[in-house]
Amino acid sequence: MKLNHFFRVFHITILSFVFFTFKTFATGNIDERVKKLTLELRCMTCQNQSIYDSDAEFSNDIKKIVKQKLQEGKSERDIKRFLVERYGEYILFRPLMNYNNIFLWSFPFILLIIGLFFVLIKTKTKKA
Amino acid sequence: MSSLVGFLSLVFAIGINFYLFLSRYIFKFQKQKFNLFIRSASLLTLLSFFSLMYAYVVSDFSNYNVFQNSHSNKPLIYKISGTWGNHEGSMLLWLSILSIFSFFFSFTKNIDESFQRLTLIIQSLLHILFGLFIVFTSNPFLVNSILVNEGLGLNPILQDPGLAVHPPILYGGYVGYSIVFSIAIAGLFQNTDDEWLYVAKKWSLISWTFLTGGIALGSYWAYYELGWGGWWFWDPVENISLMPWIAGLALVHSLMMVRGEQAIKKWIVFLSILCFSLSVFGTFLVRSGILTSVHSFAADASRGIFILLIFFIVTGFGFLVFLLKEPKKSNALNLLFINKVSALVINNILMIIATLTILLGTIYPIIIEVLYNKRISVGGPYFNSTVIPIMIPGFLLMSIAPILSWQTNKMNNSKKYVLAFIILSVLVLIQSYFLDFNTWGFVGLLLGFWIILASMIAIFSSYKIKINIKFFKIINPHVAHIGVGIAIVGITCSSVFQNELDFNLSEGDKFNVNGKTVLFEKIETTNQINFQSLRGRFLFDIEKNQSKEIEAGKNYYPVSKMITSEAGILHQWNKDIYFILGDQKNNEWFVKVLINPFVSFIWLGVIIMIYSGLIAVTRR
Repeated sequence: MKLNHFFRVFHITILSFVFFTFKTFATGNIDERVKKLTLELRCMTCQNQSIYDSDAEFSNDIKKIVKQKLQEGKSERDIKRFLVERYGEYILFRPLMNYNNIFLWSFPFILLIIGLFFVLIKTKTKKA
Repeated sequence: MSSLVGFLSLVFAIGINFYLFLSRYIFKFQKQKFNLFIRSASLLTLLSFFSLMYAYVVSDFSNYNVFQNSHSNKPLIYKISGTWGNHEGSMLLWLSILSIFSFFFSFTKNIDESFQRLTLIIQSLLHILFGLFIVFTSNPFLVNSILVNEGLGLNPILQDPGLAVHPPILYGGYVGYSIVFSIAIAGLFQNTDDEWLYVAKKWSLISWTFLTGGIALGSYWAYYELGWGGWWFWDPVENISLMPWIAGLALVHSLMMVRGEQAIKKWIVFLSILCFSLSVFGTFLVRSGILTSVHSFAADASRGIFILLIFFIVTGFGFLVFLLKEPKKSNALNLLFINKVSALVINNILMIIATLTILLGTIYPIIIEVLYNKRISVGGPYFNSTVIPIMIPGFLLMSIAPILSWQTNKMNNSKKYVLAFIILSVLVLIQSYFLDFNTWGFVGLLLGFWIILASMIAIFSSYKIKINIKFFKIINPHVAHIGVGIAIVGITCSSVFQNELDFNLSEGDKFNVNGKTVLFEKIETTNQINFQSLRGRFLFDIEKNQSKEIEAGKNYYPVSKMITSEAGILHQWNKDIYFILGDQKNNEWFVKVLINPFVSFIWLGVIIMIYSGLIAVTRR
């Protein structure tokens, strides 16, 4: 069996599993959603700590606000927008995917594509 | 007195190195004489370092640096570690380790004499640069202008056994790349044979092993000292240590290609320069204080400029030589889909992309602040969603890469691997079906176990099992990869399947953790030598006779008026139970309990990686 075949099987298995994982994706309960969101927020009064990890007064306030807003049925996006208006983009550990940050977000994947091309061009298809 | 000795020996050491540098052009030396000089310069630097340490040990507050950073009632170990617990001292440690590397390199046998000499001269140049930096901007031997009999104390966060030994080991990695850098530059200048590649391999493995140890110690410290239950925060200071680590890993792997006759010399030289540049750049970022970090160290901006200058000199010089003195063209790569060479090339590309992504993410907030005067954060979520996906193909490849052939794209026993992979996938899927399903958890577990399993199959089906040193050397690449697999399993479990429980408790309350009853026995306050401690005592699993005792609390350091949290951790082989004592409200204490499954696997994986790093050093 050649290695190409091996990798084909490999890929099919992985892809099918990735597909399954998305099918079973479901929203968790409210505490898990608070955790997920507050992990992506910076505690403004600490040194580089997320709100979830921090026990500072500021963090506890934000945790309450986030929980309350989620219970009101606000989406994560609304809550983030609200917090950015109040505290600035500095509070977001995950930089916004907007025009300004296009370089930040695309850079790794541009490099990946260049790398891929390099390998494809240099690869010999015939056996040596 | 010791300060004077220290300062003079430092200046002499710089002088000797300058003399050695001139010797290349003006005076000609015998080999013996040259080695004598380089070794004495190294020993003088060490003498300088030890005299600073002596000043710390005897609490000589006539030294301004000691006065600023030490206190006479500290335990001895923190007096010693206080030597490098501050900017000046840590830079002197940097220089001392550079000297140690030069010292040992001067003993290397079986290499071309002029090549060795050139390498050492480049080391001397680096010594001069950093030496002058210390003398002019960060002199640890300044005399205290006022007469005092007590010092200001060491940052309490640094008063910890893990962090006491962390800097020397980490610097062993950072500074170790200086010798790799010098070897690569010397190799470019001489451009004779490939002998230097073997030398570079050994030293880059040594540096990488040190760096691994240093990073692991640092994150273990963060795990139990910062008290958040995490051990990696994608913090700038952590990222800085991770960049040379990944680049160094790429370097070690490309040096493997030398064995397959197709040295990608150019790439190796590039990586060698990059590793050291990243180390110096990291020193600049940490020391300049322009980063916000949980591992905050006092620093000042004017020194940052100096280090930045050194960084530009080193990097500029390195890459200039690289461009001007390109190595002779090596034969074309034998890239097939997929053989060992192409696996190594893909792995190198992925590692460099990861390194550059981390670099961009770390300095991006600074760039934005300079350009738009706006503060933004780039934190964990960014790195998790860029670096990790990029590394996944690499992780898949590494499971089988060591047994791929150099020449052809055929693989022995490939059916066995496919079968193993399918069975494993089904097992992991069943496991995650019964537990909470999580995409990252699934991918991480599958990858981790696959790497372990494939390496095991490779060991058992490709080699005859013998118990001797030679056998362990042969299977070493697989062992290293098993270490990575174990670490991936640990990382996945501890981050994805972490469980948090919150309680409000009074003394004497019983509560339930993971089906076991825990007694919150009492709160104790005691006075230690240099701090006051507040501890909550917990008895875990009181139904059994041998219940475990856990203490979690806080320390208050009156000298620096700081509070540190001290988590109480119960280590079990399959999980850590992590107690954090919070604040008191209405006679009730807030207690947070984290259940971190399989954290011990991370440290086990790292220990295996360090072990195989050491084994690889001994293998040619």
